[in-house]
Amino acid sequence: MDLDKLLDISNQCIHSEPPTCVASCPVHMDVIAFVSEIEKGDFAKAYKVMENKIPFSRLIGKICDHPCERVCVRENCGGSIRISELEKSVIDLGYMPPKKPLLMPKTKGTVAVIGGGLSGCVTAVELDKKGYKVTIYEKTDRLGGSLWAHEGLEASLIEEELSTIEKKGISVVYTTEVTEQTLQTYLQQYDALYLGTSEWSKHYTIHPQTLQVDDSALFVGGKLQTQNPSVIFSASSGKRAAVSIDRYITKTSMSASREREGVFETKLEFKTDNVTPVESVEKTSAYYAENEAIQEAKRCLKCQCTECIKACVHMQRFNITPDSYIRSINHNERIVLGTRSANLMINSCTECGLCKEVCPIGIGMKEIIHATRQSMVERKKMPLSAHDFALKDMQFSNSDAFSLIRKQPSKEASKNLFYYPVIAFSAYARGLYKGSSKTGYLFYPGCQLSSTHTEYIGDIYKHLVGAIKNKDADNDVGLYLGCCGAPADWAGRLDLMPESIEKIHKTWQEMDEPTFILACSSCAATFEKYLPMIKTISLWEVFDTYGLPEVDIKKGKRELCIHDACATRHNSKLHQSVRHIVKTLGYTIQELEYSKEKAKCCGYGGLVSNANPEQAEDFVKDRIEESEHDVLVYCAMCKDALVKGSKRAYHLLDIIYGNEVNQDEPQKMPTLSERQNNRKRLKYKLLKEIWNEEESDMSPSYNFTLHLCDEIVALMEKRFILLSDVEKVVEHSLTHKERFFNPQTSDYLARLRVQNVTFWVKYEEQGSDITVKDVYSHRMEVVED
Amino acid sequence: MNEQTNTTTVWMCDKCQKALMSQKVKVRYLEGNFEVELLKCPECNMVFIGEDLALGKILEVEKSLEDK
Repeated sequence: MDLDKLLDISNQCIHSEPPTCVASCPVHMDVIAFVSEIEKGDFAKAYKVMENKIPFSRLIGKICDHPCERVCVRENCGGSIRISELEKSVIDLGYMPPKKPLLMPKTKGTVAVIGGGLSGCVTAVELDKKGYKVTIYEKTDRLGGSLWAHEGLEASLIEEELSTIEKKGISVVYTTEVTEQTLQTYLQQYDALYLGTSEWSKHYTIHPQTLQVDDSALFVGGKLQTQNPSVIFSASSGKRAAVSIDRYITKTSMSASREREGVFETKLEFKTDNVTPVESVEKTSAYYAENEAIQEAKRCLKCQCTECIKACVHMQRFNITPDSYIRSINHNERIVLGTRSANLMINSCTECGLCKEVCPIGIGMKEIIHATRQSMVERKKMPLSAHDFALKDMQFSNSDAFSLIRKQPSKEASKNLFYYPVIAFSAYARGLYKGSSKTGYLFYPGCQLSSTHTEYIGDIYKHLVGAIKNKDADNDVGLYLGCCGAPADWAGRLDLMPESIEKIHKTWQEMDEPTFILACSSCAATFEKYLPMIKTISLWEVFDTYGLPEVDIKKGKRELCIHDACATRHNSKLHQSVRHIVKTLGYTIQELEYSKEKAKCCGYGGLVSNANPEQAEDFVKDRIEESEHDVLVYCAMCKDALVKGSKRAYHLLDIIYGNEVNQDEPQKMPTLSERQNNRKRLKYKLLKEIWNEEESDMSPSYNFTLHLCDEIVALMEKRFILLSDVEKVVEHSLTHKERFFNPQTSDYLARLRVQNVTFWVKYEEQGSDITVKDVYSHRMEVVED
Repeated sequence: MNEQTNTTTVWMCDKCQKALMSQKVKVRYLEGNFEVELLKCPECNMVFIGEDLALGKILEVEKSLEDK
């Protein structure tokens, strides 16, 4: 993993980009923090925010020419935020006299400031703070220069504020005019010189960034440099000159990291399309009263790019944005000794890709997180428990228990179907009759659809044979049951990918490169990524092209909202086919705000439901709150997730096969154990019904009957414990008498290590009836010797 | 849920019909090897781990080892 490249991406994220008001303020007053404090009614803190960036804020705050307001994005939605009025009000309500300054030794060097106007005073104070011995030379008998000409400032206030300069220990030499002729003397006498007079006899060429004159010790600021009467620009140039003088004297780079001094252009483009206009608050006296200021502050939009956070509950849960996310990944990856605290977060992203769709500059966390997971696996730092269950389930799908590859039944093997009336009424029989023994299509339903919608698979296969052979007699339709490897991909387990991919590739080659008909969106994504040479088509496009299964459909009249599968977000043909099928079946469609290319994940993606079930629940909750209507999905896992979140959801197959009925009956999805069993059963059933092959049942049989109440079943689901695990524990305990006994309750407690997990089962035994009372597991291995 | 405290329990070994005793037991996970006091059968050495322990301290240690 190239972490430096990753950090470059992090720097492109505009989440931390300042709003236009801050970028156009020459001293970068933090307007968002400022108005936020006002909103809270904390005027003293708001004053602190001002004081932090604006020198002599009690003066400048009253006369600032506020360039910030001219660029406020609120302007067209009720008028710019009146930042300058808020500043006046904050000075009035939140000013606190400064603490007595600590007099620090001034040993870094000596600086002469020519001109005691605003910019000169600012430079002097800034350099004093940095530890320089500063002397101001002022031609009149008072500091402040043009400040005295401002109507909005009372003389007493100017005097009070500027009196702090001498209290800090800065020397002021009054009634001393420095001229071009005497300037050289001062240059020789001091380490550096700041020229901040409003007029000067000689025109100097000033470096626009450093305000330095050539390579000399002379720096020019204030109106001589800004060439305009703005007080805030003048103050800014004073501050910048102080930075330059410090760098000059300490011999550090004059230009490094100064790109954003003064006014700059922010990369943030805050959209106001959905902003409700609110008029500015009018003041009823000289300044905003407390309540008026609070109301005005509330109008501030606090411009910040939060597009990805708004769209993603994962970023919301971890309260993180791509910039800080990448920094966390960087830290997690570089850590040598210590806790990798970002592991859980990295395994809680669904890798759905929505962030990239909504990001104004196109940063996507999917690829980054995927690469991170692969890196964690390579370095053996991936938490084992995060994906263990899903990977074992994948292993099951690719084992003989489920995996099956068959060509279309041959004409010879099917001849018992070729008689009247079967051949007349069954498109399937006619399809078999046209058998060419060239597999043009291979139906690949995927492991999850086979687990949860088992009953449809055989019917779909028969329909495909009938419909496709009717129009395309050359191409037979075969069947392939297995897992594409998506779980391994999500888990970053590149080492496990070949198990699925190579087998699929080999089959494809051996069968003379058939087109795969895919029913699962995750399979589609996996094929695209790992098997780009294989031509695929979605089952929905096949249905749309070759016709829907002929079932007795009672046309639906309801409105359904379509939850698109995130893995298909860029497949517009598929989106079209699905919508066409839904409309053909008589339903009306409600499009969700986040649909098609902006589809939101159901929470299954990225194996989040394994690694962080609470995060997966956030995804479901977020999705189902989008609409009151029942949901239509076309990915088996989406249905599973939504139904578990108590939302009524139908798979596209449910409405195609007319099973969108009994609307009062609660929906139920098969348990993890039932899913494995369904896959086993499907293979057995298809072999028998379609290929006339009888397979012996490989399931073990036990001499006891297990009784599990709903609570225990729910507990097993939550703890990822399979019925087969429970059976193994009980069987072992009965055979070897390895169990504990509780004489008070007469319960037994038994344990068995199955691969890398120890399962515990508490049960009551009555003859051959075993009633399970508790199940739990741990991964820690206990050495019993 | 007071079946197991740190040192005593009503559970007994069914095979040996012995009361369980608290003894040092070796446990391991990933790179971690520890010796901890656990209840076990003094005869057959079968170690008792209750639900609270499995889902409490043990899970916590497992997770922290996984993040190391």
